[in-house]
Amino acid sequence: MIATSKRNALNLVPVIFTDAVGQFVGRLVNRRLKRELVSEATETFLVLILRGMALTFYLSKGYRRNIKGFRGCFVMRTFDGLVRTSIIFDDGEMKVVEEERDDWDTRITFADAAALQRFMFSPDRDILDAIVGGALESEGNNNHMYKFGFLAQDLARRLGVLEAVNF
Amino acid sequence: MARITLEDLSLKDYRLTPRVSHLKEVYFRAVPEICVERPRLLTRYYLEHGLFEKDRISALEKARAYRHILEKRKAVVAHERFCGEAMKLEKFKDFSLFAGSTTSKFKGVPLYPEFLALQLWHGLWTLKQRESNPYFIADKEVEELNYEVFPYWMDRNVQELTRARCYKENEEKYGLEKHAPEMKLFEKLRYFMASKPKCISHTTPDFSRAVGEGLRGIIDDAKSRGRDARSDYQREFYEAMVEVMEGIIAYSRNLAGEAAKLAHRERDAARKEKLSAIAAVHRRVPEHPAANFREALTAVWICWTAIHLENPNVGLSLGRLDQVLYPVYRRDIDDGTLAIEEAIELLCCLWLKIGDHVPAVPAEGEKLFAGTGSNQAITIGGVDGEGRDAVNDLTYVMLRATELMMLRDPNLNARYYPGVNAENYLRRICEANINTGATPAIHNDEAVIKTLSGKGETLEHARDYAVIGCVEPASNGRSYGHSGAVLMNLAAILELALYNGKDRYSGRKALISLETGDPTTFKNFEEFKEALKAQITWFVKQATALNNIFGKTHQDFQPTPILSSFFEGPMAKGRDLIMGGAVYNSSGVAIIGLADVADSLSAIQRVVFEEKVVSFKELLDALDNNFEGYEALQKRLANPAKTPKYGNEHPPADANAAWLIEFLDGELGRLDNYRGGKYRVGFWTMTNHAGFGMITKATPNGRKDYENFASGITPVSGATPYLTPALNSAAGLPARCIANGMALNLKYTPEAGDKMLDNFVATVSGYFDDMGGEREGGMEIQFNVTNRATFEDAVAHPEKYPELLVRVSGYTAYFKDLNPQMQKEIIDRTEYLLSTGSAVRYEPFPLPREDG
Repeated sequence: MIATSKRNALNLVPVIFTDAVGQFVGRLVNRRLKRELVSEATETFLVLILRGMALTFYLSKGYRRNIKGFRGCFVMRTFDGLVRTSIIFDDGEMKVVEEERDDWDTRITFADAAALQRFMFSPDRDILDAIVGGALESEGNNNHMYKFGFLAQDLARRLGVLEAVNF
Repeated sequence: MARITLEDLSLKDYRLTPRVSHLKEVYFRAVPEICVERPRLLTRYYLEHGLFEKDRISALEKARAYRHILEKRKAVVAHERFCGEAMKLEKFKDFSLFAGSTTSKFKGVPLYPEFLALQLWHGLWTLKQRESNPYFIADKEVEELNYEVFPYWMDRNVQELTRARCYKENEEKYGLEKHAPEMKLFEKLRYFMASKPKCISHTTPDFSRAVGEGLRGIIDDAKSRGRDARSDYQREFYEAMVEVMEGIIAYSRNLAGEAAKLAHRERDAARKEKLSAIAAVHRRVPEHPAANFREALTAVWICWTAIHLENPNVGLSLGRLDQVLYPVYRRDIDDGTLAIEEAIELLCCLWLKIGDHVPAVPAEGEKLFAGTGSNQAITIGGVDGEGRDAVNDLTYVMLRATELMMLRDPNLNARYYPGVNAENYLRRICEANINTGATPAIHNDEAVIKTLSGKGETLEHARDYAVIGCVEPASNGRSYGHSGAVLMNLAAILELALYNGKDRYSGRKALISLETGDPTTFKNFEEFKEALKAQITWFVKQATALNNIFGKTHQDFQPTPILSSFFEGPMAKGRDLIMGGAVYNSSGVAIIGLADVADSLSAIQRVVFEEKVVSFKELLDALDNNFEGYEALQKRLANPAKTPKYGNEHPPADANAAWLIEFLDGELGRLDNYRGGKYRVGFWTMTNHAGFGMITKATPNGRKDYENFASGITPVSGATPYLTPALNSAAGLPARCIANGMALNLKYTPEAGDKMLDNFVATVSGYFDDMGGEREGGMEIQFNVTNRATFEDAVAHPEKYPELLVRVSGYTAYFKDLNPQMQKEIIDRTEYLLSTGSAVRYEPFPLPREDG
């Protein structure tokens, strides 16, 4: 998701600067994500949010603390198989691979990018509708899902758009 | 000794004291605050003692953890701040007569990470902003939960431990990895809910020993039995009881110490005296027997707070307090050391304390089931173990305190034994309903006692029943019935019979249950009933099997030494409640959607098979299209004059309701639970008739997509134009099959004058009447006595009605807290004018808010 050279450079940000500076940089580089968070999600939303998370883990010690010591694999896919993404957290590192890993802790199968956005950012009846309507299926440890939801909310908060997101 | 010495049973001259008025005003302004104290202490203890790594946690290990929390938790004698509506902390003077609280906050939200607290995780940053029932949480508390508490419980709460158990067992059995079909059905949300991931709860401990002997008496008993224990398990269990009792005593002593410290600092003489009195009370109780009424109430309260530390409060109920506390009350009154106004003030303060916490409900839960309290029932009146009239002065004093406070918790339940209890007692209960608009619920002792006896309880124990949570009767302090173990959507099961076991919703038509035949090929109604029977049988097996698996997780990880110490059975058997230590060990299933399914059966019977107005295929087409293009059919199906409806004394309709109840009781009643008990069936729905309704499509009774189901055992709203037939239909149901309780919800228009009260009493008496054995008589009835205009105004201006109390289906709630769907359901309930016995005609109320 992020090239090694960029990763090395980004790694220096929290070493050199304070968390507030890291957060400021994060807001700059995640402008498009911010836009999508407060408006309609597009098909690139999943990529954007995962990239936003990955970047912010590098830029912000505070955000990275969320996954310190945490190991988990979160698979997201669509019913039609067009999306198959695995997000792997491994003690402070986040890796995204475009394949479905078998060692998942939680696997969410959803309809489209909009359903994904609702899933992560709208803790309301839309999600329930999706589950009971069979548009979204979740398997495995629910707590991984809740943690992932927190990571998304926490990112929005750090980007300064938490209150603008339609919760 | 006369049990009734009051001259005026209404006690109408007694009002709220300034102390209570002030506390109540603050209470209604206070926004619930998340309390992180318990999860913090528990998590650290688990880390320090390696409990996260254990495959099984014993009662003794658990007891030591709880003792640690009890000893270390903050001793709050008087709260100094509460969270106001603007999400800002405000200072206030807490002059409650009771010290201690279930959380460290004035109105707290306790968290139990070993159960479902992690459901709040993803929404922690927005708890303060959410539209429905927000909670206050400080940023540093969010961070503490996120970094230092929740991560440790990710694989260790009841739900995930159970999932791991399923994975392991299925891998061993079938060689399949990550295979937990038992959980899958439950996690589809549509079919049933299992309560065990959320709580143990749903039971009534008994505080007679705590009040009469003190916890030291329980400790001495446990120690003595421990010396004669027959196994290591028993020895450890008795030791566990001692640990937790010592913990509770330590907590009370800490409160005494804190109160003494505050008294020492206090300059106001009256306040100093009050604080000194609190210190003196806590030095004695609950360790020693209560010497007076105040000490008795304090003993109950402190034990109650301790029970909350063990287990989330979902229908944890206080039992027959008017019986437990009466001897000491009578003694104080006779001695002249207690005046009635003091007793009422003490009870009012205690009632506020009992409601000092609200359950942690995630935003998703709020959408479906908003407005629920903890459903802490208190039972008054009825008969004693020998069948004698047990109503006493304290019964009326509690009734008056409830009437004055009008709180959601505690949920007051009045028992009435026709012919044994005085009629003026029934009259007073009905009067309280008119005055409060919603409480107490009224239970028919005669029918309930017969039902419980029929399920194996001795007559003496059945007579000593108390109400759990909403309406569930169980022998007080003897029956661990987990009465809300499973909440089942009967209409979803009906759908499976209608769609041959296939998923009606996803468009993928996946097989959910059994193929019981394509109904369009059925030749008669009996064939459809057979299909429904098969679906019910299959479903009941799935739901109870999962409940039993969850129960095993409780047994391995959630022993309950505190709760066990306040039950009859665990002490004698040397066994934890969760291991089957109680005298009675049933599990309860609540059925949602009875009237809609019964009416659907009647519709299929009459319209499809008898009169052949439409074919089964046409009916299914109509349902698939939400009756669009089938408007005439929908009108016919919904019209009680054309299609039989339960609640109108239509024999076929009432027979279908009775058949469902008997069949469900038969299927569930033969299944064993994990504690060696049987399953019992109930028909109460809390807000689930709205919650399940809003996720269930159209049904054959003319109900359209996502409309509410009828509540409890109540006929469908709008289907019963006359009150007497509605009552007779419900009274004619097989009460013997409803051991897990029922809620008949009625709504009356308030009318001026005594005539309303006369009519009110007459309807309850008539409904309870078994007609000389011709029928079983109604078991329970509850009311809303508020006019529609008030409800409509409360929807438009919720800020004007913070205290508007309503009966949902079992428990009471504040109308403003309910979700839009539930508000609509309450408003749309059939409303009767008692003076005519007829329903008042109203147009269906539109959904109050757009988000519904």
